[in-house]
Amino acid sequence: MISRSCSRKISPGEYASTVRSRLTERKLLFLAGIYTLAGMLALYLGAAGSPDRQALPVGLATISAFLFVSMYWHFTGYRGDCFLLPITAFLSSTGLVFLFRLDPAYGERQFIWLLIGLGALVLTTRLFVDFRFLSDYKYIYALAGLIALVLPIFFGHEQGGAKSWLNFGVFQFQPSEFVKILVVLFLASFLAENRAILTAGTRNLGWIALPGPQEWGPLAAMWGVSLLLLVCQKDLGAALIYFGTFLTMVYVATSRIFYVLFGMGLFMTGAAASFYLFAHVRARVETWLNPWPYIDTTGYQVIQSIFAINSGGVLGTGLGLGYPKYIPAVHTDFIFSAICEELGLLGASAVIILFMLFVFRGIKIALKTKDDFTALAASGLTALLGLQAFIIIAGVTKLLPLTGVTLPYMSYGGSSLVANFILLGLLLNISHEAEGSL
Amino acid sequence: MKQNIFKLGCLLLGLFVVLVVYLSYLQAVMGSNLAANPYNRRLQDIEARVRRGNIYDAKGIVLARSEFNNNTGRRVYSRGADMSHITGYISGLYGRAGLESAYDSYLLGMEGADLIRNFVNKLLGKEQKGGDLTLTIDADLQGLAMELLRGRRGAVVLIDTRTGALRVMASSPSFDPNHLEESWPRLVQDEDSPLLNRAAQGAYPPGSTFKVVTAAGALAANPGIATSTFNCPGYLMVGGYKLDDLAAHGAVDLKKALAVSCNTTFAQLGLGLGADGFYRTIKAFGMDQDPGLEIPVRPGTLAAPGKMTPTELAGSAIGQGEVLVSPLHMALAAAAIANKGVIMRPYLAESVKDSAGETVRQAVHRPWLTATTPEISGIIKDGMVDAVRYGTAGAAAVSGMQVAGKTGSAQNPRGQTHAWFIGFAPADQPRLAVAVILENAGPGGTVAAPVAGRLLSAAVSKGY
Repeated sequence: MISRSCSRKISPGEYASTVRSRLTERKLLFLAGIYTLAGMLALYLGAAGSPDRQALPVGLATISAFLFVSMYWHFTGYRGDCFLLPITAFLSSTGLVFLFRLDPAYGERQFIWLLIGLGALVLTTRLFVDFRFLSDYKYIYALAGLIALVLPIFFGHEQGGAKSWLNFGVFQFQPSEFVKILVVLFLASFLAENRAILTAGTRNLGWIALPGPQEWGPLAAMWGVSLLLLVCQKDLGAALIYFGTFLTMVYVATSRIFYVLFGMGLFMTGAAASFYLFAHVRARVETWLNPWPYIDTTGYQVIQSIFAINSGGVLGTGLGLGYPKYIPAVHTDFIFSAICEELGLLGASAVIILFMLFVFRGIKIALKTKDDFTALAASGLTALLGLQAFIIIAGVTKLLPLTGVTLPYMSYGGSSLVANFILLGLLLNISHEAEGSL
Repeated sequence: MKQNIFKLGCLLLGLFVVLVVYLSYLQAVMGSNLAANPYNRRLQDIEARVRRGNIYDAKGIVLARSEFNNNTGRRVYSRGADMSHITGYISGLYGRAGLESAYDSYLLGMEGADLIRNFVNKLLGKEQKGGDLTLTIDADLQGLAMELLRGRRGAVVLIDTRTGALRVMASSPSFDPNHLEESWPRLVQDEDSPLLNRAAQGAYPPGSTFKVVTAAGALAANPGIATSTFNCPGYLMVGGYKLDDLAAHGAVDLKKALAVSCNTTFAQLGLGLGADGFYRTIKAFGMDQDPGLEIPVRPGTLAAPGKMTPTELAGSAIGQGEVLVSPLHMALAAAAIANKGVIMRPYLAESVKDSAGETVRQAVHRPWLTATTPEISGIIKDGMVDAVRYGTAGAAAVSGMQVAGKTGSAQNPRGQTHAWFIGFAPADQPRLAVAVILENAGPGGTVAAPVAGRLLSAAVSKGY
């Protein structure tokens, strides 16, 4: 087997460290496996009503698939971070257990998507292990991404209030899930290239130094795209994530808080304008401030979510003993509320801590990188995932206005799951490179 | 740039920490009333599977039970409208209220051993059962109180002064919880507000019954007034206003002032007490607090410090002005005088048994507030005994037992005075305190005092 990762000669020391880290990875995956099987066993025995005969085999297959990925990396000498895959395994198997508990039909499909996602992960770590070449074609895929993003406005259909889906008959596809990764890569390479100019500025505007239009042009375009998403697709969540990631990356690249403040100001202006111009944005905000008058309409979902969180208490009702199905769309955006109800505050905190660990590893990878492009890409991908998890958890708990985005690795949804496994693969590739050049 | 990445990491982790803190905060502050919201179908879902426990009165009479016909449960309230403000109701359309709502988790078998028992029953396909609740209310006395109030707007509270157990808490008009959903549209539009529990949530000017509280405050501030004499010319000039009295009582001491209900004396005592002393007295009697009854209580209110002018203070001292309290609070004031100054914490739930008959909760008698001293309560008691013996409250007298009482005829903007009576019996060894109000029904001495007398005599003959 000749993979790109093996094309360079590996020193014996490197090989030993690879073996060690893959061993740690498998130990952790083993723990995740016990955890998954415990949940699946409960469902197999009928914790969610009727016994689910598929639960155990699916649990076994899931964890075997994760172990297989680890074994594969072991044999190809892959040096990617050894904690990210187990963290992801914990997250996605929690999601899978809950989907089987909520509706086995969703569980089965999610299981297939999980296998596809792991396949995408292996492919990413194999084909894009020298991901640097991506940096050379940035304008091409920026354009491709933009087209993919805009397509649903004309050909898409609306689902859950957001017009961000393309229908391909057998399955639906949400381009924005994939485009967000392209956006990070584009920004990473663009910012790495123009970092110096953006930091210093080429012309002086009174007290503040500003770069020229060819430098800030693409950045202004980002702002435009975010607003476009907000207005045309009613996809408030995606707009927030895009723009949040964009601002964090600009800050990391330039250290200039001015850009962040300016960007936030622009976003606020846009948001305020759309609040007054568009009824659906206004409805979202009003529902967030006080959902009770809208309990029959726009507030129904978030109030049902609050009911679920409330009935869970600290310890939760126990798997299968709550009533999370009263929340509409509980299997996608609101899966976190189901976890709050059945696993309680403690279970919910555990999920949040898993996301924190993911972010922690991502930032560590970014800190270990040797050049601007990889540093920006790693921190951008980490920020993307972290912000998405934060925004949806805050949305379903009414800390922020509700926005329809998925909880990474946990919510039902093929596009989201596969895209996030590709994101994981890219992050691992960066750490693979960083470890290699030690 | 590495520094910036480090800052970004801190920011992201910080966001997640905010989430954990916020979730903990949610669990800490979110009210249990969310479970009773009609849009929250969780309890209804459990309701369909679990045989809800019964509610009994103090003598073991079933007040509420569940009947099953073709697997659809129906709640039957044997005493209909008599008890509905206390037991409350469970409705898929209009939510849950009263003790039915407050004790949901026990009645549905979701606590302690029942939780495990019902989980096993669920797995075995057996019937799941809830626990039973026993109240302190006596259904027959409650029925008598409702009968005495029949057709009028008003409330009656009868409380055991030594334990705090509420024996009667009646509010009229009421509603029949057996036919709640059919009559709901009419109930919410009815001008007489039958859904309002006047006994605990009413907001009434207490009138002269409040003089008991003012007297306790004045005696605490200046014990000397127990032996002073006051002159009543039939009116009092306060801040340029003339405060009229019912009669020129002439020279009276404190006991006689209570017995004949002399406005001039108590307005003067209130002015002597001052605003601060008055607020202190209100607090000592718990007038501005919810004693934690497990059903909604409206804490009493009065003029804010900025608006407590001498005129307002003189009016408040005789239970007029901006003072608004519930009959429950006035019953507790009477209980304080009866129980040597100590108010026992009032309660409605005597015990809770789980589905196996084990007692899982038993009421504990404990003092709630020390309103005043035994000496002061003794002096006021003498005045209240005199009020029944030869004063305004004579109609509350019961043969064979000395009743102590105080009447009130509270002026209000809606017509005739509210008829009030508060008191306790037997005066030598008090066990029961009572408060009666009849809205716009006339003078307390002729309208409210007889109701209290009938109820006290019935309660004592039942052994309370």
